[in-house]
Amino acid sequence: MIKAKNQRLSMTFMPYLFIAPVIILLFVFNILPLLSAFLISSFDVSTSFNHARFLGLGNFTEVLGDARFWNSLKVTLKWTAVEVPLQVILALILSTLLTENSVSNKIFRSVFFLPIICSATVTSIMWKMILHSNVGYVTYLLKILGFGSINFMNSPGLTFYVILFMSIWKTFGISTIIFVGAMQNVPKSLYEAAEIDNAGKLRQFYDVTLPGIAPTMWFIIMTRLISSFQVFDIVYTTTGGGPNFSTETLVSFIYTRAFEVNRMGYASAVSVCLFIIILVITIALYSGMLKQEKEL
Amino acid sequence: MNKKIKKTVLHIPVLIGLTFIALIILVPILWMFISSFKPQHDIISYPPTFFAKQVTLENFIRLAKRVKILYFVKNSVIYALLSTIPSVLICSIAGYAFARYKFKGRNILFILVLATMMIPFQVIMIPLFLIVSNLKMYDTYWGLILPKIAAAISIFMMRSAFAGLPKELEEAGRIDGESEFGIYWKIMLPQVKATFVTLVVLGVNGAWNDLMWPLLITGDMKMRTLSNGIAMFVGTDTSEHGPAFAGAFISILPMLLLYIFGQRYFVEGTVTSGLKG
Repeated sequence: MIKAKNQRLSMTFMPYLFIAPVIILLFVFNILPLLSAFLISSFDVSTSFNHARFLGLGNFTEVLGDARFWNSLKVTLKWTAVEVPLQVILALILSTLLTENSVSNKIFRSVFFLPIICSATVTSIMWKMILHSNVGYVTYLLKILGFGSINFMNSPGLTFYVILFMSIWKTFGISTIIFVGAMQNVPKSLYEAAEIDNAGKLRQFYDVTLPGIAPTMWFIIMTRLISSFQVFDIVYTTTGGGPNFSTETLVSFIYTRAFEVNRMGYASAVSVCLFIIILVITIALYSGMLKQEKEL
Repeated sequence: MNKKIKKTVLHIPVLIGLTFIALIILVPILWMFISSFKPQHDIISYPPTFFAKQVTLENFIRLAKRVKILYFVKNSVIYALLSTIPSVLICSIAGYAFARYKFKGRNILFILVLATMMIPFQVIMIPLFLIVSNLKMYDTYWGLILPKIAAAISIFMMRSAFAGLPKELEEAGRIDGESEFGIYWKIMLPQVKATFVTLVVLGVNGAWNDLMWPLLITGDMKMRTLSNGIAMFVGTDTSEHGPAFAGAFISILPMLLLYIFGQRYFVEGTVTSGLKG
């Protein structure tokens, strides 16, 4: 009797006890910082909090008038506009070719997925040397082919695409693997039905594969878009934003404001802008997804 | 027969294309491995060479003289293990509660947990840095690890894993007089071992390669991890190619072994996060 009562009592309390640690940690290290970001963005403040000065929206007006902010936003938008479609199309093509579980496909898949273990640091050390302007492999090949030497890491206009390439090199395998998983889940019978209707491979891709993997497609586009707006690691380990700010992304800009010139309030204001951009994209994509699901 | 020939003919360009992409991935990694054992003059020789004419440990020795590489390794190991294993444990208990109990506020709390997934780390890094520094955890393992313990994605995946288990399992435990924690720990957790290992493997890889947080929250050379320590070393001295390769070699090797032996977990974890998300 008493035991049963105890058990019921513990059934009521235990779940709260079980979730308490994560709720507390998420509050202190995720939710509280998010709220503080808004608060800090209205102050002129450094790491030490001494001489903190309330500015209201002062930081934001300064952000809007800061050419370097607009430049970093432009770089980030350009990154997104090039990286996301390239990555999605490449991953789609590769996953279509690699859906079947043959031995060679499995080998290709695990090779393409391999860069998941490379940190940005490792990736940049490797590629910077391969593209080295004096002794790099690519430089050597270009010379053999009769081109002049190209300074890959230090040419405004070009360096941006070089870093973008490194980023895609590092992540396209992840998107590919996710697409393969989704394509393998599309029922075989749908393809057989299409086959009977004499639909060609391309027709099948449009009519069967694409609708079949729609949720995954949205997921990939959403995560790639969001991570494009957060690009930092590969920039930090290669150019640091140069040459001539041509690779300075929003997050690189935030990083330099906060941790190089110690303007925490100003950097927070840029972070808040970043947050709003990401939020708008997420909501727009999410409602797009829901709309499409309704239509299907 | 004719169709088969057509298929093979079409197959060849595809195979060439795929092989080309595979080479773009494998050659740089392999070349970096070999180059970390080449003497400096071979690394900067022109035209570049792929294979080593002589093998030397000079790069590793020079790297050890320039940076506290053993500390980097130690810190990376500590960060990778202690920010994942306790994390997955704590998140699994929470995921278990969300999956198997009915309690007031469950749905709203779970939505709250999911909503934190939408908070980009780059947006909160400054306040997080200020909070952790003001808790006197700058340059400590606590500061490095504690903010990474609660991970919404782990809670989410654990919840899905626990939700699929039959009710009879926990009923049997209750009849045997197990405590609620005992039921979770002894009966239910072993059932979701695969998800647990997957989250640990992906977490270890993620933390090992994490650049941003260690970069912000550590200042002392003895507290740096491989990822940010080597990045800073490369950033300050662009002529030290050999030691940079050696550092890259050291930092990629453990993850390569993890990938070779646990590739299935890498793939499963990535695919499920993509399909369920």
